[in-house]
Amino acid sequence: MGDMTTEGASISAGIDLSQFYQVFFEEAGENLDNMEQLLLNVNVEAADDEELNAIFRCAHSIKGGAATFGFGDVAELTHQMETLLDKLRRHELQPNAAMVDVLLQSGDALRAQLGRHQGSGGDVIDTTDLLVNIKRFVEGGGAPAATPAPQAAAAPAAAKPAPAPAAAAASATKPGTRLLEMQVGPLTDLSLADNLVELFKEITDLGTIEPLDAGQSSDGMRRFKVLTSSTDNDLLDLFTFHVAREQVKLTPLGPGFGFYDGAPGAPPAEAPSADPGYGFFDEAPGMPAGAAAPAAEAAPVAADAAIVPTRPATPAKAESKPAAMDQTTLRVSIEKVDQLINLVGELVITQAMLAQNSRDVDPALYQQLTSGLADLERNTRDLQESVMSIRMIPMATVFNRFPRMLRDLAAKLGKKVELVTQGEATELDKSLVEKITDPLTHLVRNSCDHGIEMPADRLARGKPEQGTITLVASHQGGSIVIEVRDDGRGLNREKLIKKAREKGIDAPDTMTDAECWSLIFAPGFSTADVVTDVSGRGVGMDVVKKNITSLGGTVEIDSAEGYGMKVSVRLPLTLAIMDGMSVGVGDECYILPLSSVVESFQVQSNTIKTVAGSGRVVEVRDEYMPVIELERVFDVPRFDFEHVSSIMVVVEAEGGRVALLVDELLGQQQVVVKNLEANYRKVNDVSGATIMGDGRVALILDVGSLVRRSRH
Amino acid sequence: MHSILAVDDSASMRQMVAFTLKNAGFNVVEAVDGQDAWEKSGQRDFDLVLTDQNMPRMDGISLTKKLRENPKFKSTPILILTTESSDSMKQAGRAAGATGWLVKPFDPAKLIEVIGKVIR
Repeated sequence: MGDMTTEGASISAGIDLSQFYQVFFEEAGENLDNMEQLLLNVNVEAADDEELNAIFRCAHSIKGGAATFGFGDVAELTHQMETLLDKLRRHELQPNAAMVDVLLQSGDALRAQLGRHQGSGGDVIDTTDLLVNIKRFVEGGGAPAATPAPQAAAAPAAAKPAPAPAAAAASATKPGTRLLEMQVGPLTDLSLADNLVELFKEITDLGTIEPLDAGQSSDGMRRFKVLTSSTDNDLLDLFTFHVAREQVKLTPLGPGFGFYDGAPGAPPAEAPSADPGYGFFDEAPGMPAGAAAPAAEAAPVAADAAIVPTRPATPAKAESKPAAMDQTTLRVSIEKVDQLINLVGELVITQAMLAQNSRDVDPALYQQLTSGLADLERNTRDLQESVMSIRMIPMATVFNRFPRMLRDLAAKLGKKVELVTQGEATELDKSLVEKITDPLTHLVRNSCDHGIEMPADRLARGKPEQGTITLVASHQGGSIVIEVRDDGRGLNREKLIKKAREKGIDAPDTMTDAECWSLIFAPGFSTADVVTDVSGRGVGMDVVKKNITSLGGTVEIDSAEGYGMKVSVRLPLTLAIMDGMSVGVGDECYILPLSSVVESFQVQSNTIKTVAGSGRVVEVRDEYMPVIELERVFDVPRFDFEHVSSIMVVVEAEGGRVALLVDELLGQQQVVVKNLEANYRKVNDVSGATIMGDGRVALILDVGSLVRRSRH
Repeated sequence: MHSILAVDDSASMRQMVAFTLKNAGFNVVEAVDGQDAWEKSGQRDFDLVLTDQNMPRMDGISLTKKLRENPKFKSTPILILTTESSDSMKQAGRAAGATGWLVKPFDPAKLIEVIGKVIR
């Protein structure tokens, strides 16, 4: 048997229950998310019945699965939560903020417990305090069915009714509490076992015990029915004072089911020795032939239905969605999707090669071939789009974590903050969603900690007491833009410049505002006067910027002192495919991310000027920008010494612009990005590579790095 | 082969039940809640209905009542899976016309045992 409260027997009837664990974990995770969302939205003064029911159902559902699959700790905690939630939804207790807090904390504990069961390691989660707290709420409401002995509630025992005779005890069979058959013996003196019965009377939280054999025994064995929340080991340890460990045998008791006599389909009556945990209703429909006259009894049963008060089904709107989702979604491992994407990438390249090789085919002679190739091109493109969309998930998955975080954070800082989110449905590649979560979290924390003022300060400034942080996601061209806005104190230009100079950063007074704001991205730069527990721990905006840049994204800051700040993060929709512009330099071909290309033009040699010490610049509409000759950057071999590159492509990144000098513009196309580092090694100024239609490898330029190069 | 309609809003429980029953040689149709089960019950016959109690849209008790109103399911065994084995639940089950109840958590062996009592 082992320690059944932590890991149940996972094999029963030849079925390995562990095969369902993953589904259970995912489902429990969804339920926890859902519960948290509902808890955050619940209005404690006027809680909606439907909401309370939905929250209850989340806990209930987790409990059911946890108990079935043998995660006793999870079942125990959810059971307590459920008890509290049940009282709330029945209006036996009035919800309050403290209850919501403890339920949210319980949700966190459950996540940790589930994480542990999934093998993420860590210590056993101590939920004693939570259980005691929840219990206090359950009892504090003066509910009629208060659980006994609150003073002895130190041990995390599940709520139990007072020790009771068979029927009542069995009806309290709940996860966390288990119904066991205990065999003691063989004993020379059968009364020895009575000591064990005494034990249960002395120790309030141990549970209940009752003899199964009416104290009679023919084989020197005593049998008891035990209802307990303690583990087998704990029980055995206790019993050793009276009976040798080997003489006690614990097995799960009770069928846990029942039939109603005479119910349709119910089997012939059995002697209900101990409540089996299942049952059949007497004279209910479905009883088998053995039962008495089932058909004739169906009518009275129906009449009963009108009398017995059943809780009406409360359709929960919020819940109908997950159920519907369940029917129409399919869980697939991410590896399978990635493999699919990879294969499609290869297909796109093959298709491009075919298209290129067949350019010279005479359409008049090979009409079927060329129309087939045209179809192939269209289908490949559609296929690629469909496959890429598999990986797209809505930003809501990121945004949803912030209400809870802000709530805790604001409470800790003594601030009042409201979170507004817009564009949650905006979709983004899953891998990007995962990677953007941390930087966004940091930005939101920053806004709350440094941006939003204390309520009193806000009032003094004529602002509403409650600050607002707004998260907005939207698609703009081939990018997604995520904005984190707050209506806090904003950035102070003088303070920033002063600080920068202290840090030895070059900060002239002539800096533009944008340049000034971007000072906060400098390593080790923190404007917080006090280093708080929340932010300003050295891991600052520089890391945020680095992370976003490494995803091919950009960050921009806008601020007005006293009115707030806006951080805009711009990211590509996916890392796997990119719209590129191919440019030729000598015999080489390079790809520029189309999103970074501003314009291109034919350059007159007289507009390029050399500035002493800082290289060459080009004048474009009265503005000078640095010129970078790709030929020199990559040491492109050239045999035509007369040649003068004459095309400028202006690219933009990290708030700066440079003009790249190239030989020719080859075209625009979607390219499948291959990681160069994984396949070769890191190359400066190159972010990846791709395979062109003609089978050649072209390097994708890292525009950000080129812009940085121009600054030095 | 006997057909069983297995109703549960929890995917993991549903999978476990369905797998167990299929393994035991039953034909299983799954439904995600009472409403879904009610719709599926209209499409074909079942030898047994196994339903969770607490579900969104339509709970197990309401489903049982609705099924009993249909002559097709007048004497079909209906078992309610529940974590609440309180007397009030049992009364509600009886009043709705259920055949019996099975307390969660149960393991596959128990499920087969109980079903074996009503389907032969």
